Amino acid sequence: MTQDLVSQKVKSVSGRLSVPSGEPALAVVLFAILALIPVVAGGYIVYVLPQYMIFGVLALSLGLLWGYVGILSFGQAAFFAVGAYVTGIVMGADFGINPVYLAVLAATGAGCLVAAIAGYFLFSAGVRATYFVLVTLALSIMAEQIAVSQSQITGGWNGMYVNRPELPFGPIGSLSLGGDYVMYYVVLPLVALAYFIVRWLMAARFGKVLVGVRENEDRMIALGFGVPFYKTAAFALSGAVAGFAGALYALHSSFVSPSLGGVLFSTEVVVWVAIGGRLSLLGALVGGIIVASLSNYLSAVAPDTWQLMLGVLFIIVIVFFKRGLAGAVSDGVRLLTAQRGQTNE
Amino acid sequence: MSEVLRAEGLSKRFTGIKANENVSFSMEAGSIRAIIGPNGAGKTTFLSMISGHLPPTTGKIFHKGQDVTRMDVVKRARRGILRKFQTPSVFDELSVYENLEIAVLGTNRAADPRPARIRSVLETVRLADRPDALCKHLSHGQRQWLEIGLLLGRNADLLLLDEPTAGMTAEETAATASLIKELTKDHTLSVIVIEHDIDFIRDLEAPVMVLHLGEVLTEGSFDSVANDQRVRDVYLGT
Repeated sequence: MTQDLVSQKVKSVSGRLSVPSGEPALAVVLFAILALIPVVAGGYIVYVLPQYMIFGVLALSLGLLWGYVGILSFGQAAFFAVGAYVTGIVMGADFGINPVYLAVLAATGAGCLVAAIAGYFLFSAGVRATYFVLVTLALSIMAEQIAVSQSQITGGWNGMYVNRPELPFGPIGSLSLGGDYVMYYVVLPLVALAYFIVRWLMAARFGKVLVGVRENEDRMIALGFGVPFYKTAAFALSGAVAGFAGALYALHSSFVSPSLGGVLFSTEVVVWVAIGGRLSLLGALVGGIIVASLSNYLSAVAPDTWQLMLGVLFIIVIVFFKRGLAGAVSDGVRLLTAQRGQTNE
Repeated sequence: MSEVLRAEGLSKRFTGIKANENVSFSMEAGSIRAIIGPNGAGKTTFLSMISGHLPPTTGKIFHKGQDVTRMDVVKRARRGILRKFQTPSVFDELSVYENLEIAVLGTNRAADPRPARIRSVLETVRLADRPDALCKHLSHGQRQWLEIGLLLGRNADLLLLDEPTAGMTAEETAATASLIKELTKDHTLSVIVIEHDIDFIRDLEAPVMVLHLGEVLTEGSFDSVANDQRVRDVYLGT
């Protein structure tokens, strides 16, 4: 009897290398719910929810970095802004063809490239922890400053308008993104795609090496892993995902402004992921969607105090739920199943 | 037999301190070599120069005939020179199996698939019955073994073990000695061991090099070293 209990206990313990196996199923449920929302709700919600899903992707870009590699970045808004501005610039250029796909690709590539260059120099120089965070903070400041100062390209403080385009489908025809319902059902699968691609990469060899780096960097080096390369690749991937989110944002909101790249917005991303749960990709994604929605709601009902309320929520999570919503949920599920197991015996 | 490692006149000086002075050393593939010496004798510094964690001030290091003196830790590890640290360096938050899953990444061998290799490593390091245990819940001795297991999961050629029995019980220490002998049984893997525990060194039945104040005091079989009056004076204290 005692033996059984002991062996059961050992079985139920698993480390943090593998992404929780139930997570993709939970993600499917989430995306299904999101797919049904326009059926029951309408108007403003259908217009605004894609924006929060896009913020969820931005949170995902930080989640993969902070959760898997243990690298905190205050530069996600910079990559997001790079993606958004590149989209605006490409959409505004006169190519003679519909540039929407090119714009999204270029935005993703630009986010990736900026992160890769910054990451390459920092990680090969062995910049770690706090010093790295400080540099990412500077990236956000630079992004905002460049957006303001290069006004002949970016429009400066006036921002940049991006028309909602048509999505061409070759000989089949094309789909106008002008309507909110169409936009909703274009953004949702792209958000799901971003999640599942990142999830797949993190469950593969790449993600396992990153977890090793997070858990014990010196051990990984001594085992012969090229740690700076993997960190740079993770940062570049994070930049690409953030750039992709920036592109979707530009197309959805039709407007890009310098504050998208600022420190303030970058800090918001960190708060989303901390509240959602940085060790879970789904937690980060959901954190982005929920906390961004909540911010919007609070700012409407309590315009003077909403940031204070969000700050209090952040502190509560940091103090009591270090692993965020996702951690609290998985602990709750474990507790429930453990209790059920006991009553069954 | 072929030579797996040769060090020629290795010296390491930190500002004002001679950690190692003109240490020369060579060992055959498939053998064990023990390094002993009192605290501050330069044992770990010597190991760090072999692993690439410290560059020597002067001298050269050859691995299987190739000069590796200027190679960094990662390059040497990829050649098969793998080091265990003094305090166990494993992935504490992960399970035993997950630890090894990371170690075997990128070491594909068609004839020997990775899950099978993980199982055989687990058996070798006596952790086959605890694959799902979180590493931080293991005893100190088991973590030492797991770290050796991580090295075995790579394409190891030469293991550098820095005090592998620190914090072990007498039985665990004895088991570690037979484990190390097992590893070199088929004469493909070589092991350098730094230790304080004299019974453990005797159990290894391997040639011993004695370091004192950064220099080689003497070299030879365990018995010849243990009976050397100079060694007794500086180290054994009898």
